[in-house]
Amino acid sequence: MPGGNILIAFIAIEVCCVVGALLFPTAFRYLSSANISVTLQAIPTIGFISLGVGLLMIAGEFDLSVGSVYTFTSIIAATLLGALSVSAWIAAPLGIAIGALIGLTNGLITLRFSMPSFIVTLGAMLFWRGMILLVHGATSIGFAPDDAFQFLFGGAIGVVPMSFIWLLVFSIGFHLVLQHRRLGSHIFAVGGNRAAAIAIGIRPGRVKLTAFAIAGAMASLSGIFSATRVNSITPSGGTGLELQAIAACVIGGLALTGGRGSMLGIFLGAALIYTIQDVLLLLRAPGFYLDIFVGALIVIAVILNQAVQGRARA
Amino acid sequence: MTTPLYEIRGVSKRYGSIQALSELDFHIGQREIVGLLGDNGAGKSTLIKLMSGIVQPDTGEVYADGCLVAVRSRRDSERLGIETIYQDTALVDSMSIVRNIFMGRELVGRWGFLSHQKMRDIATNVLRTTIHISGIDSPDKEVGALSGGQKQAVAIARAVYFKGRILLLDEPTSALSVRETENLLAYIRRLKEENVSSVLVTHNLYHAYLVCDRFVVMNHGRKVFETTKDQTTIEELTKHVVLT
Repeated sequence: MPGGNILIAFIAIEVCCVVGALLFPTAFRYLSSANISVTLQAIPTIGFISLGVGLLMIAGEFDLSVGSVYTFTSIIAATLLGALSVSAWIAAPLGIAIGALIGLTNGLITLRFSMPSFIVTLGAMLFWRGMILLVHGATSIGFAPDDAFQFLFGGAIGVVPMSFIWLLVFSIGFHLVLQHRRLGSHIFAVGGNRAAAIAIGIRPGRVKLTAFAIAGAMASLSGIFSATRVNSITPSGGTGLELQAIAACVIGGLALTGGRGSMLGIFLGAALIYTIQDVLLLLRAPGFYLDIFVGALIVIAVILNQAVQGRARA
Repeated sequence: MTTPLYEIRGVSKRYGSIQALSELDFHIGQREIVGLLGDNGAGKSTLIKLMSGIVQPDTGEVYADGCLVAVRSRRDSERLGIETIYQDTALVDSMSIVRNIFMGRELVGRWGFLSHQKMRDIATNVLRTTIHISGIDSPDKEVGALSGGQKQAVAIARAVYFKGRILLLDEPTSALSVRETENLLAYIRRLKEENVSSVLVTHNLYHAYLVCDRFVVMNHGRKVFETTKDQTTIEELTKHVVLT
């Protein structure tokens, strides 16, 4: 079963946390409604981006520009909303469309010039990071949509934030596309063996461009959700998200070489990164512990995944 | 002479400084098995890829049933009824057997969702009936876990299931056992009875002589010898393959 390992690891960690919280309810407030709510709010930021980045990685390409696209497109949407009084219902889809266009451009450059997408999107990351400062500047910008938009994308039902519900919806949608639609099959084929895909009549260019566009759109989507949640955008807010997204994917069992992975794995990978962050916060550990733990987790996850794959092949 | 099913005229293909095919004429008749012979680098695989639509010729024309056609992609050749078993099998290691067999031609239901169960049933059936290969117990197995012969069997099963009017086989027996090879050759003959013509690329002249009706020997991208089975012997074929 794809994502099987990570599911076991995730459940094990959750069980430990819950047991710890039940044993020490005052010292380790893991099960407090405030903590649950904060964690569920934090997961979608990296979750949405990881779904897109993961889909693209399965197709055999990278996108390092998602962090910059995340901020750039949400600032565009916020500018439309604030300075030009455009409705959030129009500004947000426009922002997402721009994200898709940026992703598509990354793809076109990658394919047209037969370059590694790693390099193309590294350039795009810096380019759009600079464009944020050029277009907007270094100050924060407000994002105040109407009440319906605010509730639907930034509200909560009980302790469960809407953004988390949307993440679940998108995860299931991505899973369906990947496992039960032709596009998904072709993404696996193109990422797994490009030459074979061509020989059998699949157009790798088209499949990859679709994946690039989806990665860009999901980065924008995540940016809009974050902006709606805190009603403000910091120009440096997206920095580092690209590597966190790749980390979530790798922890979730995606192969860096493409052709392998599952949306459940990506979802759990993103959730695991934030669970660890949350636990460290609750234990009042200094911030750098997060890097230490996530760094170790990435390497351990890949070792475990390779071991399991080796066993499946033998 | 009746109109060939498929014909190429004056086809040339150059890769950098290498002339893979030069001014080549080649045709496949109805109910015919053509043996395409020649040493390594003769241009046999290039010709197969060209007929499959994944390599475009620099010059030359392609005719199907006597009509000029353009073959610019695998989809075009598929429309002409061509199926290919590639030398390198063209399988994706990280995908299951079923997904490989239906790669690019997935069966879908009414809402465009994949019909997994239907594809599994067909895959199981095709693998069991075409050339029996031991060790493939489940069509859900990852192709990367299969042996060379088993991979070739999957590639064969795929081409056989989607069989059109012409089957191109590029070294299909290189990883097969003696018995599996016999099965495949018998199958090619059976397909001829069903009006499916084949082109068999092989280094094994005995296999070729066993099943083919006509032989084309290539060398350095040119056709150097052509004959029918009733006018040649295996010795003569060997001479032309080895000495030209």
